[in-house]
Amino acid sequence: MAARRTRSPARSKATREFVSEVEEILDRLRADLADLADQRARGDLDPELANRLFRSAHSLKGLAGMFGFEGMSGLAHHLEDILDGLRMGRLTPDAPALDLLEPAIALVASLLERAGSAQAQEDAAGEVGALVARIEQALREAPGEASAAGPEIDERLLRALTEYEEHRLRESLRRGRWVHLVETSFEILSFEEGLAELTAAVRESGEVISTLPAPGEAPESQIRFSLLVASAYDAPALASRLDHPNAAIRCVHRAAGRDDRPEHETAPNPHGQRGRLDRDEAPLPPEQEDRAKHPPQAPDGRAQRGEAERGRQLEGARSSTGRATAQQPTATPQQPEDDLGHEPPSELDSLKSISDTVRVDIRKLDELMNLVGELVIQRGAIGAIAAQLLADPAAARFGRELGKVHKALERKLQELQAGVLEVRMVPLRQVFEKLSRVVRRLRRDSGKDVRLEIRGGDTELDKLIVEELADPLMHVVRNAFDHAIESPAERVAAGKPPEGAIRLEALQRGNHVVIQVADDGRGIDLEAVRARAVARGLIDADAALTRKETLDLIFQPGLSTRAEVTETSGRGVGMDVVRENVTALGGLVRVDSTEGAGTTLSLMLPITLAIIQALTVGVADQCFALPITSVLETLVIGPEAIQRSEGREFLNLRGEPLPLRRLHAEFGLAAPAPDARQAVVVVGLADARAGLLVDRLEGQQDAVIKPILGPVRSLPGIAGATELGDRGAVLVLDVAMLIEETVRRREAA
Amino acid sequence: MSAAIPPHPPAEAAPAASERPASTWDELARKAGRSPGGASQVELRRELLVLWLDGDPYALPVERVREIVRMRAITPVPRTPASVRGVVSLRGEILQVIDLRRRLGLPAADADRSRRARIVVLNSEDGQLTGLLVDRVSEVLRVDEEALRPPAGRESDAVVALAPYGERFVSLFDVERLLELGE
Repeated sequence: MAARRTRSPARSKATREFVSEVEEILDRLRADLADLADQRARGDLDPELANRLFRSAHSLKGLAGMFGFEGMSGLAHHLEDILDGLRMGRLTPDAPALDLLEPAIALVASLLERAGSAQAQEDAAGEVGALVARIEQALREAPGEASAAGPEIDERLLRALTEYEEHRLRESLRRGRWVHLVETSFEILSFEEGLAELTAAVRESGEVISTLPAPGEAPESQIRFSLLVASAYDAPALASRLDHPNAAIRCVHRAAGRDDRPEHETAPNPHGQRGRLDRDEAPLPPEQEDRAKHPPQAPDGRAQRGEAERGRQLEGARSSTGRATAQQPTATPQQPEDDLGHEPPSELDSLKSISDTVRVDIRKLDELMNLVGELVIQRGAIGAIAAQLLADPAAARFGRELGKVHKALERKLQELQAGVLEVRMVPLRQVFEKLSRVVRRLRRDSGKDVRLEIRGGDTELDKLIVEELADPLMHVVRNAFDHAIESPAERVAAGKPPEGAIRLEALQRGNHVVIQVADDGRGIDLEAVRARAVARGLIDADAALTRKETLDLIFQPGLSTRAEVTETSGRGVGMDVVRENVTALGGLVRVDSTEGAGTTLSLMLPITLAIIQALTVGVADQCFALPITSVLETLVIGPEAIQRSEGREFLNLRGEPLPLRRLHAEFGLAAPAPDARQAVVVVGLADARAGLLVDRLEGQQDAVIKPILGPVRSLPGIAGATELGDRGAVLVLDVAMLIEETVRRREAA
Repeated sequence: MSAAIPPHPPAEAAPAASERPASTWDELARKAGRSPGGASQVELRRELLVLWLDGDPYALPVERVREIVRMRAITPVPRTPASVRGVVSLRGEILQVIDLRRRLGLPAADADRSRRARIVVLNSEDGQLTGLLVDRVSEVLRVDEEALRPPAGRESDAVVALAPYGERFVSLFDVERLLELGE
């Protein structure tokens, strides 16, 4: 089974937190870097992306510095240099310096792996130094200011802008965009929300270059802002797109020649051609003028600005190097400084995000869950006492009172359970993003053109399941990429578009989440699978298998591990491992494939592993629990209802044959009397059904499923154990596994 | 990713520790001599928990014992090796219980066992817990490493050494090997 969550005990708690925080930053950096690679290939650049990358590098530097990882911090510092160059336009998207981002991030990751060892950090110093030198070299070789020339801009407006904002303004003008001032006022008490909403709305139609507070004009309880906006839309169009009743839009600069060509094709124009940006064309509003006369260093203006920009936009450093102050990540924002204007608001930014989100070790949640589970058991005991009291005429009154208290307690406990469960839930997006990076890399390395479509990333699952899913999903996606999708030439010959597609989709169905990985590749060659299974002795040469049964053979251990099968069947590397992992999580894997048209793998998983409603059943002298979510119905039958075919027992369930399994025989327990009535628990997952024959149906209870610790790791048919009141440990049946076994047995027959 | 970082200087100690076989005692002894640099022979005293099976004394390294609990209801687990008696619930944790008599191929215990029988709970580095069902537990014994002798026979891999115990010898278990049940 998959490795349990064990972390190196050698690492201190602080180091662990550092590591997990840096891992998050690295994940973000890698995701953004992949986007950057795509954008570089297309030759354009989303300024927000450059900003995001810069912010990540900045946080990384601060964090590493704070924890004394000098090599990592130095490296991050140089990452920041490159990214600052990129966002300030000193580096063009094709600058060779950008090629050093990936090795630098890889090196940070490798330093992080060895975070526990100071020695290892020192050992890596040479490597860090070499890379740093290469970065410095590349930055020196980069051409200087790319676009100092451009339309003239009103000095007063310029003085109100940071260096970065000025760069963005020039860049927008160079691209021939409209520049507007969007003005509105907000209630002071709620201006942050209002401003955030407006900013978000504007971003749909353009870029917010700067947010300028406009003191004075507004009534006491209000605060006015002007947003300097660059957009492809003119003022009336922007106004209708914004649909913001209180916002006034003034055009500051008219887009020139915008009818000629689509904006992204617009080449930089020679100096002056776009006309002047000045007050004659679009006068600055008085308050703007006012602000321009009092540059942002004015304390009142600064304070509001800082507030307004928090969480939205990194102004970056205003100094000429673009990062003079950004190099002091530990400086507190409140600290009085001579030039407060150089304070990067990103400090506020990061402080806030830390205080909003609490990072929790999942083991602590496990402990909480255990406690909740024990409370649930105690609650059951109280219920039993209440019932006893109620049965005693002398104490019935207390019984009723206790019963009421018990009911209330039960409700609150359910809420508590739901609350703790909810904390454990995380969206699948995290895993999907990783997969999308993998596909991007595969695409780059292999030259194969495959598109990954992702849907349902917001579907939530227990954090533990999401973690354990990452590897199996990676396996499935890689298989699809490497083996299922044909070469472009083959695809064209088969009448398909040259670009292959892999669709990754998650959706919730009741208590389960279904994750589908579908490709439009060559599909599984059933004959090849069958031939291989016969050669391996998994089936007889003359075995009559349905299409579905043949497909399911790819999950057999012996079958799918050899390369030649992979090549002919298009799928199969380690599918048995995938199934094993998914089954260990209480899930199921299904495969469907049409030759020539593609293959779909469906993983069905429970939403959480932690608390279940359990049905308890008795077999001989033992008690077992089953997750109620997998129980379709229960019935009691006499021995005459059981039919046989080729030695397999089944039941006629409303016209459908239901394969039966006698639990006492499976588990080597004493058989009931031959003429005894038996209970059938009909279990099902997805479209698979089976009937489990047990001696007694006992009841229904909340149960916390716990792993069984000890030397025997593989307990087939057992998903875990739970404590049920005074019964001690009760085994929880692995319904998925029992169904799989039943189905497999039928195949083997 | 091509970040070919050379690993640390090839570590000799780590692989040896994980493979475990011959030098287990040395390894245990090294772990005991915690003070860095203080590799003095005097430090190599071991504490052993003495337990009894079928009238003979055996021992476990004390540092592997988390706790000793009374015999309690054990839930049998189907489809496991015979030496697995089942599972018990211990303060919210469910752990397997190995019947050491069965594990060593000793005759089954008589009824007398139930009163003094104990479950010795072992912990391991990877967070696993295992219960060992024994006839009884008697004491903690302190032994010099130098006094250890090789085991008498090779009946069971699980015994790595004999330690002097009054007039007789106590058989010292290697915990890892003891827990290899040959699934």
